[in-house]
Amino acid sequence: MKIRQITRDKDDYMDMLLMADPQKDMVERYLYQSEMFVLVNGGDVCSVCVVQLLKNRKCELKNIATRVQDRGKGYAAYLIHYICEYYSDVCDTMYAGTGNGKKMIEFLEHNGFVNSHMAVNYYVDHYQEPIYEDGIRITDKIFMKKQLDSVIDVKKVVDLALEAGRILLKNGAEIFRVDETITRICRRFHVEYVDTFILSHAIFVSAENGMEEAYTKVKQVPLSSTHLGIVAEVNALSREISAGKVGVEEALRRLGKIDNMPPVRGYLQVLAAGIGSGFFGYMMGAAVTESVIAFFIGCILYLWVLKAKKHNISKIIVNIIGGAIITVLAILALHLPFLGNIKMDGMIIGSIMPLVPGLAFVNAIRDIADSDFLSGTVRMIDALLVFVCISVGVGATLSLYNSLIGGMVL
Amino acid sequence: MIHLVMNALCSFMGTVSFAVIFNVPKRYYVCCGLTGMAGWMTYYAFVSGHASAACASFFGTLVVVLLSRALTVLMKCPITIFLVSGIIPLVPGAGVYYTVYYMVTNQLAEASRRGMESVKVAFAIVLGIVFVVSIPRDVFHGLFHSLFHFRRPEGKYSIYINERDEGDENRKG
Repeated sequence: MKIRQITRDKDDYMDMLLMADPQKDMVERYLYQSEMFVLVNGGDVCSVCVVQLLKNRKCELKNIATRVQDRGKGYAAYLIHYICEYYSDVCDTMYAGTGNGKKMIEFLEHNGFVNSHMAVNYYVDHYQEPIYEDGIRITDKIFMKKQLDSVIDVKKVVDLALEAGRILLKNGAEIFRVDETITRICRRFHVEYVDTFILSHAIFVSAENGMEEAYTKVKQVPLSSTHLGIVAEVNALSREISAGKVGVEEALRRLGKIDNMPPVRGYLQVLAAGIGSGFFGYMMGAAVTESVIAFFIGCILYLWVLKAKKHNISKIIVNIIGGAIITVLAILALHLPFLGNIKMDGMIIGSIMPLVPGLAFVNAIRDIADSDFLSGTVRMIDALLVFVCISVGVGATLSLYNSLIGGMVL
Repeated sequence: MIHLVMNALCSFMGTVSFAVIFNVPKRYYVCCGLTGMAGWMTYYAFVSGHASAACASFFGTLVVVLLSRALTVLMKCPITIFLVSGIIPLVPGAGVYYTVYYMVTNQLAEASRRGMESVKVAFAIVLGIVFVVSIPRDVFHGLFHSLFHFRRPEGKYSIYINERDEGDENRKG
């Protein structure tokens, strides 16, 4: 069973369309501005339907018909379910107009439509021939409506929410923001019962909307680099979603795009690290010459950090060697004759700054403040470990130098 | 005076360059820089007034977090952006270095003094962040908006308001 959209030669299905709407010129009034779907089973077209897009995120089911020999097999219901999901992205409400006969109204009610409004004597005024259903003349057109966002699959919503959460967590958001985003997205799409359990490197979500079974999903989120731009983008997107401006499909597409947002280019990061080192060095009391050297050390240090990141070298090694690089370069600068009388501490303090785990530190504190003690502890250990590693790198190099030179110059 | 200006400039530029490393969107660079600068200048003022480093860090952090929260409301973006960048100048990188330095050169008394100071500074930062972050969002927003008469941020209260005139198009037949 397959559903296809028909874009050309819609007239070919006219005989089926006429089964639901018996006057040809009335069908032609909407057919060419509408979208048409057919349900194909085993090579035969079994069901056909026509949907017209209206203004203000609304659409109308204009026509739905099934071949005489295929009626009662649920094809039309399947088709309606499909188009409801299809249009849930661009529309909030779907209308369907039908005669005041019992059968069709029951069918629509069965598929989630409720009464909206009616046009009195519509079929008397617009149709030349009187229409009968079960021996009763049809006179009025009953409009029924269905809220489309209630048909969306729980799984789809949870997948979307989880993806948003994963991207946030990966790029350095706090636990409560991830939690809030997931809950917000689920609520928007009428998944009322949501439970989340979020760690610093994993998300668990369990959700149900009261109709289907609960759906649970777990996602591991490895620790990786920070991209606050992505956090800001996802946050903005989740605001738009909860304001009802974005549907599931579009949200997924935009999330994919956000996830692939490139970080700042490598040489700019290196330059930024250098500039940061230089200015912070000066701020902490280094002289101008020392700050300039700190700039260069910072650049070289960040080249190493980027290189290591590319090869997925462990954080511990990156920071120990990073600390060592800083110290070695500072000691070398100390021995350059033309630089005159400079001191080492300003240079080292400045160029340590790019390694300092500011984000992990701040996020750890914020998680603990929000009572997410588990994640807070993990992140705090992460931050402390980085501090310790830098100290080890700097300390080991210093003491090596110290013993080489005999403890005089330091 | 020159010293003051240089400090402001350095903390501003330093914070901005860290914002670049953290991939903060370009439009927030200036705000990040201002946050970092405000934090550092507060710290600097307290240290010049012979306050302890921990005490100065605490007040510096308070300024950073308050400013970050205000900017978050104004610019409608996550607080992390301003907070992380703004805190960087206050992080005790120097303290860590001196601790290691004195340890390596076998001046253990001085090393432990510096080490304790760094820990104190770290705790001061923790306290500063926790104090301000713990103010509930609504209270903070209310305070902020009543102080400055700004509009409430949209999005929060505008869910499902365009439900009127439904079915108008359909009624024409």
